[in-house]
Amino acid sequence: MNVIEASGLGKRYGSTWALRECTLAIPAGHVAALVGPNGAGKTTLLNMAVGLATPSAGRVTVLGGRPAGSLAALDGIAFVAQDTPMYKNLSAADMLHLTRNLNHRFDQHYAEARLADLGIPLKRKAGRLSGGQQAQLALTLALARHPLLLLLDEPVAMLDPIARHDFMATVLTAMADEGVSVVLSSHVLAELERVADYLIVLSRGQVQVAGEVDDLLASHRMLTGPAGEVARCAGRPVVQLRRGEVQAHMLVRATADNPVPAGWEAHPVGLEELVLAYLREPGAAALPGPTLLRDAEPSGVTQ
Amino acid sequence: MDIDKSIRTGADGNVSAHAPAGSPIEFRLDASSGVPTYLQLVQQVEHALRLGYLKPGDQLPKVRDVVAALAINPNTVLKAYRDLEVKGLAVGRPGQGTFVQATLSQVALPELTTLRRSLSGWLTAADGAGLDEDGIVALFTSALRDFYERRNGSSRTRGGVAAGETAGVA
Amino acid sequence: MTALSIPARPAEDASLRPVPWRRMGWVTWRQHRFALTGVVVFLGAVAVYVWINGLQLHHAYAAAAACHPATSLACSRLIGEFRVGSFLANGFNLQAVPALIGAFAGAPVLARELETGTFRYAWTQGFGRWRWALAKLVPLAVAVTAAAGAFSALLSWYYQPLFLARNPLTLFPIPSNSLGAGMFDLRGVAFAAWTLAAFAIGALAGMLIRRVVSAMAVTLAAYAGLAFATGLYLRLHYLPPEVARNSFSFFVSDPARPVVVVSQWWTKGGTTVSPSAMNQVINSTFQRMMPVVHSSKEGAVAALKQPTNLHVLHFLTQHGYTQWTSYQQASRFWPIQWIEGGWLFALAVLLMAATVWLVRRRAA
Repeated sequence: MNVIEASGLGKRYGSTWALRECTLAIPAGHVAALVGPNGAGKTTLLNMAVGLATPSAGRVTVLGGRPAGSLAALDGIAFVAQDTPMYKNLSAADMLHLTRNLNHRFDQHYAEARLADLGIPLKRKAGRLSGGQQAQLALTLALARHPLLLLLDEPVAMLDPIARHDFMATVLTAMADEGVSVVLSSHVLAELERVADYLIVLSRGQVQVAGEVDDLLASHRMLTGPAGEVARCAGRPVVQLRRGEVQAHMLVRATADNPVPAGWEAHPVGLEELVLAYLREPGAAALPGPTLLRDAEPSGVTQ
Repeated sequence: MDIDKSIRTGADGNVSAHAPAGSPIEFRLDASSGVPTYLQLVQQVEHALRLGYLKPGDQLPKVRDVVAALAINPNTVLKAYRDLEVKGLAVGRPGQGTFVQATLSQVALPELTTLRRSLSGWLTAADGAGLDEDGIVALFTSALRDFYERRNGSSRTRGGVAAGETAGVA
Repeated sequence: MTALSIPARPAEDASLRPVPWRRMGWVTWRQHRFALTGVVVFLGAVAVYVWINGLQLHHAYAAAAACHPATSLACSRLIGEFRVGSFLANGFNLQAVPALIGAFAGAPVLARELETGTFRYAWTQGFGRWRWALAKLVPLAVAVTAAAGAFSALLSWYYQPLFLARNPLTLFPIPSNSLGAGMFDLRGVAFAAWTLAAFAIGALAGMLIRRVVSAMAVTLAAYAGLAFATGLYLRLHYLPPEVARNSFSFFVSDPARPVVVVSQWWTKGGTTVSPSAMNQVINSTFQRMMPVVHSSKEGAVAALKQPTNLHVLHFLTQHGYTQWTSYQQASRFWPIQWIEGGWLFALAVLLMAATVWLVRRRAA
């Protein structure tokens, strides 16, 4: 099952396209990281997946074909928006009651136990909790609904390192326990490798990279060699070229089996370096194959 | 689900509780080392085996516990455990967890001594050629990587030796 | 962080029926209890004041009405006391109440969610967002309308002595005309209907403007515009006005048949004379017919003026001019109430439906 499927999805505000020609198939059982600079379209994509925005072009379905924003979709998706909006005047207990009333499924016991674990008093008003506590409260409300898919929009942006660690630990533990799929948008590239196993890079409203992290890392290599011989490697698809006077680095799409030109060295690339390279080269793209079968895993990389 | 405590009623009717039967080891994560996460887990298991922290029959930490402590993707832990299974070092029992199956073969002491002596010789030569410590490390790491890539054909299995095989490959 | 596991998810519920409506009852109450209790407390406080004053009023009226003869000194004093007690005589103070209720109870419902961003939480829960909006707006509308209705029942009781048709105390200067702009919308169904309409305007304004304070301001402005247009013009034209010729008795309100004048105009020989031209004619005739007055006392002039006006008008009608008056009888009070209540109710339903439709359709 694909948790999010988009074909030709686009969203226009006035005359600017916040997102265009977005075609994705994010498989279930993964943590998919949505990465990109500000204004790249991450929030727009998540909003459309959750029904808060209607597409200007194309369509998006969730959880194996349910229309985004429909009751079936809302039932299976829990969304935590940026800045974790909360009713400031309601206590944590009230928020639990509220979420319970607004949904089919709500695990009151789990939610109360988690809040007790975190040291969040049930009677305290949500507006008087710290940023980290608010984020954890929002996450607790989301997870207590036992969703199939958890969507997080830059959830850890305002959190200190410990709060960030705890937040992600909760999310990933929920995934381990009951197989929740996660799609989260993030700025923090350094933590990606630890957390994400599916990567989507958005740049200027378009999808640049979409695929499993393992496949992406296995299919890229950093070649280091003499600057003068760059032309010899012209046959390989080059993602990024950085050259000094004498030495050059080329990030190419090649697997370990591809022969390395004589005089050149090949190194594997880390995820952060890979993402940065793509973000700096808007023309490059690494996308799955053209077919978008419902149950097929994307192949990862094509020419 | 974790069973934190097991309560046992003794012969005299008293109820006593004893310590949870968890894993002997804990994983740690060095995020800045550049080594992929799953590989770090694999290496830590092998290291623990080598040093005797883990013995056959011991349980490896439960996936959810690792995830909760390190905030890493559960698929990563699963991948590491699968890797260990492929190498024959561990085996998964459904519903119970993953357990250590075999040890890393110990290289016999005389062989270790011989290897160490030839290594010292190489180091002397490298030092004589003008290579400093970092240079030696870089050269060695590169050669090691190339060696195993050629040997294994792909990047999937690295390091470790399956039970039963000796390390007597030149 | 200790390990805390979530029990396994129950089997998927194959039927995707919506979450029951009644679950929103607690939600609406918890989120809007301040607005609701505010309305009730405010109306309650005013109601207490009206009740106490009303008892006084009724008492004074009974005393004054039972007093004979009506023109004696003692009875005049009682009449005076009765007049003083009716502090709400014009009713203009209370005109603002439906507007305020609409602004403070209606506008924030959606505007605050949109302004603070909490709609990103509320509209992504399993309940569904247009159903959520409907489940909030309808109970709130019913609650404020019921409170307003109860309040206006009290007001009707309060004003009762002023509207008794067989009121022999013709010296009352208080406008006892039930169709008058100040009084009409406080009685019958009008007050409740205006409150409902104000709430609906507030809700729609909140959804369109997305800022609480601005939405409140726009609600008040829109309500004021609508109320003035209705009071000054629309209300008198629901039913076609009756027309009378040369009925000068309308200059002094007849307590037995109170009316509200819609418009007056003059014709000569079948064609309407413009008001400015008519003014000139009346003035010149008045000048000619006015007796010379040497006294400078205001009272003497005023006493002379009144019959002179009538002389002027009689004179004009005998010289080819005809005066026309269109009017509405106060006895049409209830039909006009029902018509006004009806279209306000329809408007409120339309506006709330538009609000819910916008919630459903519009991207956030």
